Parts: sequence; C-alpha cells; structure tokens
Amino acid sequence: MTTADTPPLQASAGRSWRLARRSGVTSRQTAMARIAGVLGALIIAGVILALSGRNAPSLLGKALDGTFGERQGLEEMGLLLTPILMNALAVHIPLRMKLWNIGSEGQFFMGAWAAAGVGIYWGGPRYVVLVVMALAGMAGGAMWILVPALARARWQVNEIITTLLLNFIAIQWVAWFSFDLWRDRAAAVVQSTPVVQARLPFFPGSSTLYVGIFVPLVIAAATFVVFRSTRWGYEVDVIGGNPRAAAFAGIRVTRRIVAVMLISGAIAGLSGMLHLAGPAQRLNSSISNNYGLSGFIVAALAGSSVVGIVVGAVFIASMLHAGITLQSDGLSVYVVAAVYGLVLVGIAIGEVAARFRVVRSGDLDAAGAR
Amino acid sequence: MTLVTDILQTALPASTSVALAASGEMLNERAGTLNLGLEGVVSLGAVSAFIVGTNTTNPFLALAVGTIVGAVAGAAFATAAVLVRANQVLTGLALAVGGVGLANQLGNGRQGALLISRFEPVEIPLLSDIPVVGQALFDQDPVVYFAFGVLPVALWFVLFHTRHGLNLRAVGENPAAADAVGVNVSGMRFAYATIGAALAGAGGAHLVLGYTQNWSIGVVSGAGWVSLAVVIFAAWRPFLVVLGALLFGAMTSLGFVAQARDWNVPSYVLAMLPYIVTLVLILIPAGLAGFGRRLRGSAAPGSLAIPYFREDR
Repeated sequence: MTTADTPPLQASAGRSWRLARRSGVTSRQTAMARIAGVLGALIIAGVILALSGRNAPSLLGKALDGTFGERQGLEEMGLLLTPILMNALAVHIPLRMKLWNIGSEGQFFMGAWAAAGVGIYWGGPRYVVLVVMALAGMAGGAMWILVPALARARWQVNEIITTLLLNFIAIQWVAWFSFDLWRDRAAAVVQSTPVVQARLPFFPGSSTLYVGIFVPLVIAAATFVVFRSTRWGYEVDVIGGNPRAAAFAGIRVTRRIVAVMLISGAIAGLSGMLHLAGPAQRLNSSISNNYGLSGFIVAALAGSSVVGIVVGAVFIASMLHAGITLQSDGLSVYVVAAVYGLVLVGIAIGEVAARFRVVRSGDLDAAGAR
Repeated sequence: MTLVTDILQTALPASTSVALAASGEMLNERAGTLNLGLEGVVSLGAVSAFIVGTNTTNPFLALAVGTIVGAVAGAAFATAAVLVRANQVLTGLALAVGGVGLANQLGNGRQGALLISRFEPVEIPLLSDIPVVGQALFDQDPVVYFAFGVLPVALWFVLFHTRHGLNLRAVGENPAAADAVGVNVSGMRFAYATIGAALAGAGGAHLVLGYTQNWSIGVVSGAGWVSLAVVIFAAWRPFLVVLGALLFGAMTSLGFVAQARDWNVPSYVLAMLPYIVTLVLILIPAGLAGFGRRLRGSAAPGSLAIPYFREDR
C-alpha cells in the first residue's frame, strides 16, 4: 500500500495537507468516526429544520425534556425500546456474518400473527398461554426467514432482497387475518382482531411499561456471552471475517448461516409477540411503528458491538419518542425517516473516514513508516 | 376481450415503472455500483412528478422533473458510494429510507390533489389490429413504448456492441484492469449511478402520471425493491429485465382482472401475488444454477458493490 497516490487535500501557505491511509483501524477509531458521522447528520438535519423556519434548539430542548425530564416520558421510551432493541439484535446477529436481515419487520408481524392465533382462540391459564404465545411468536418469525436463509446458504441468493420482499407479503397476510378472517365482529368500528386476553404483567410500579423490556436485555446479555466465550459464537465471527477460510478450517458454513438466520427470525418474531401481549393487545397491520427499520439503523450504527446495540437502541428509541412528542409541533413521522437516512449516510461516510488521517506533507515519511 | 388481452392491457402500464427502474439499475450494476436505494429514488420521482403534474397539463414536463430529481438523488448517492467510496449497502439503504421519508413528507399535505397532466394512449395503426395482443401492446402511452421497446434495444446495443459498453462492463467486472488501460473508473461509475437513478426517477414519474394517475402515501409500495429483484432474475440482460418487469406487471394486473370478473379470491391474496412471484423469480434461476452448476458465475458483475481503491489493487 502506498500513500503517494492520494492527491493533496489542499495546499495553503506552502504547506500541503493530504489524506493518508491508516495501516490499521482500531475499533475505537471506528466507533468515534461513527459517532462523529451521526452527530454530523443530526447537525445537518437541525440546520435544514432551522432553514425551514423551525427553532431547532428549542425543539431539541423540548424533545429532551419530554423524554428524560419525567418518569412517564422514560416509561414511554422504554415501551419503544423493547421492540427496537429486539429488532436491533435480530439484525445484529446475522450481521456478524455480513448477512443483512432487512425483513425483521415482516418476521415481527408473523410472530405477532402466530401469537395472536394462540391468544385469541385459547383461553388457558394466563402464564401458560403467554409461554405458548412466545413459542408461537418465535416459530412464526423463524418460519418467515426460512426460505431466505436456505436460499442464501445453499444458492447464494441475496438475502437483502428476499427478506425485504417477504415484508410486503407479511403485511398483506396480517391485513387479511385482522380485517377479515379473525376480525372482531362484535365491535363493528374496530378494524382488527379481538383483544388477546393474556397480557404481560406491568413493569414493577408502572402502568405503561411491561416486563417485556427485560427480554431484549436478557437476549443482549446472552448474545454478548455467546460471541465472547463460546466456540459457536467464535465460528460465526470467523465466517463473517472470511467464509472461505472458515470452510477450509472445517466450519460448517451452510449450517451456521441457516441457524443464525433462524435465530434472528425467532428474535424478531418474539418481539412481535411481546408487542401484541403488551401495548398492542389487538392484531392489525399497523401495530409496528417501523420497528424493523429502527432496529436496522441501530445495528448499522453499532457495528460488531453488543454494548453498542443497547446504547444505540436507547438513542434511537429516544429519537423516535422525541419525534412523537414533537408531532404536536408539526413534525411528521416522515421527517424522522428522512433523518434516519441522513444518519445512515453519516455512519457510512464515518466508516470510510476512520481509515484515513490528515497529515502534513512533511510528516508523510513518518506516517508511512508507522 | 379475452383474458390475455385484459391482463396484458394493464400489465404494461402497471410495470413500466419497474421496467425503467430495473433497466437503470442493471446499467449501474453493470458498472459495479449496487444502488439498494431504488425504492427511495422511485418514490422521489413519483412525488415530484405528482407535484408538477397537479400544476401543469404537460405530462412530459412532469416526467422530465421526475427524471431530473432521480438523477440528483443518484448523483448524491454516487458522491457517497463512488467518490467517497462508502459502503454501498449502507449508503443504498440510507437512500431507500431517507428517500421514502422525504417523498412522503413532500406529498403528505397534497394527498387527494387533482392530477391534471396524464399520459394518454397513442394507438399505432396496423399493429394495433393484430388479434388478441394488438390492442394490448400497441394502444399504450409513449413512455410504455420507450420502456419496453426503445430502451432495451438501445441498452443491448450500447452494452454489447460498442467500445464504450465494453469499457462499462470492464469497470464492473475488473476495475483495476479497466483503470490500467485508461478507463476512468470513478467517472464511469458516477455517471452510470446517476443515469440509472434518472431512469428510476422516470419510472416513479410514470407510475403516477401513466398508471395510478393519483398519489397517496405508499403508492410506490415496493416497485424499487421489485426492480432490484428483477435485475437478479434477468441475470443483468436488457431484454430479460423488461420481460421480468412484465411478469410482475401481469401479476398485478391479474389482481384487477380477478376483481373485475368476480373470481372468488381474497383481495389480500391478490395483493401478495406480485411479491410472491418476484420472490419465486429470483429463487428459480439461483436454484437451477445450484443444481445444474452450469449457469453459476455467469450472472453478477465481478466487482458489484465493491468500492474501487486504486491503492488496493
């Protein structure tokens, strides 16, 4: 690798500054560059909002106060955090193998659908029903990623497109059941299924947040342990680094890909069940507030760090909650999506930027020697 | 009218957006750039054509604006993905998410506004008298003729019968080799990412001006994602791209025909059908290649979605 090919960045007062490639990038440098990218994107979004006649600093203050200033705001944020953290983990785990599950939204819907089928038609003891609903939810989500997983593992079919196309099918599927087959005929005004009787208990001392918030935290801890200290987790990370080398080392790549993707689908499906048995209660085709998308943004933000996933999910859940708080100020949910786009570009550019550093021309030899 | 005529008649305008967007995507993928943000570009093209189309009666003006907006979105994408060499998957998904959000924000307050410029069918004499398919194929608007007739022939000729097309494919297969013989890799990739997105923007514009003749939140509903799938199905070949688009359109059209003829199929199932068929379309060739081992390796450009750093070669 030579640094001499890179053109000078700019020349001023006889000294030229140029970009030189770093010979290695530490995870700390990548993390800092990602954070800088996100902050840059948010500043640009703030400037655009300010240019369109809104008072960005005052909006930010309102948003922070509405989310962190009171217990109710925190609990509402926790309600958003549950599905976002679940979906982020669902995207994160296959991403360790460089596989993108863009279909966690569809798996969320199918998990909620399967859980609703149990919850509506079976009136057993509450906790037994909840456990069976959770199993059904995981099965529903895993079933929904089975075809993309097999196609990817056996035939190298791009999983981004297959998982995404299945989102459109899942939404129609849930619409069919909630507006027609399982529709609540007693309540004529409601365009959804009847209420699922078995509900999750509330978080201690709360009447907003459910105990479902513990599930993603437990899964995050388990993910951390599995990828830090088990052979299975290590093998998955090796496949992510170099699938050919992994195959030569005797790792069963095809099996690992299918297993990882099924686990991912099951987590997304379980998140659908938690949402149904918690805040949603009725199944319809609009129970997801773009949770799959938010989870995806978190996973992209966090890279390979599970701690980063949790921190990122809190960040995105706060942003989404702020977006909801600010709707009374005329900001629509679509602006939040547009800002997500900017944040993603910021992350992508930050990642490239982390590989370079700015050096003065006189320092170049020293830089090359490093 | 026969069933075939009925289905084809709607299938063409229903899939012109996919035919245009997928042709554009095939071009930039041939040059090695994967634009996963197609859904965002199509959405932006659709909403901008709608905004212009509610203010003028000239559909070509609205189409031009949609195309330019697509090109601008493509140039922005290419700045990050080609010039900065950022991760194409992340950048593309950013464009998909941000583009759809921005398009919905722009159109949100205008839902229900009356579109006063629309594309009208132009009947081609003689050809439209062919039994069964004549009326369906040759009584369409000009953009349909362009997308299914002129464009694939032009792309086929440029890609496979000109030196420029050879260079373009070389950039997508082996940019280092193309660079060594003096082809401007970044310039080529930037130009085709822009042109590809311009076609996707035109597709979004036609979706509104020539097919739905209306705009609402979610009107694009996956046309961009389907286009990405169609490119894979078509193995990056111009004629197969429009054929794949037409198959998607036929499934969409089948839903309307089924409703009009009172077939007893739930509308939800009909609405799923185009996506199910698209999914099957990309699984079949991959599955055949997996079993037969003959088609494998022939399809995707060798350096697709891999940023080119000259220092790395």
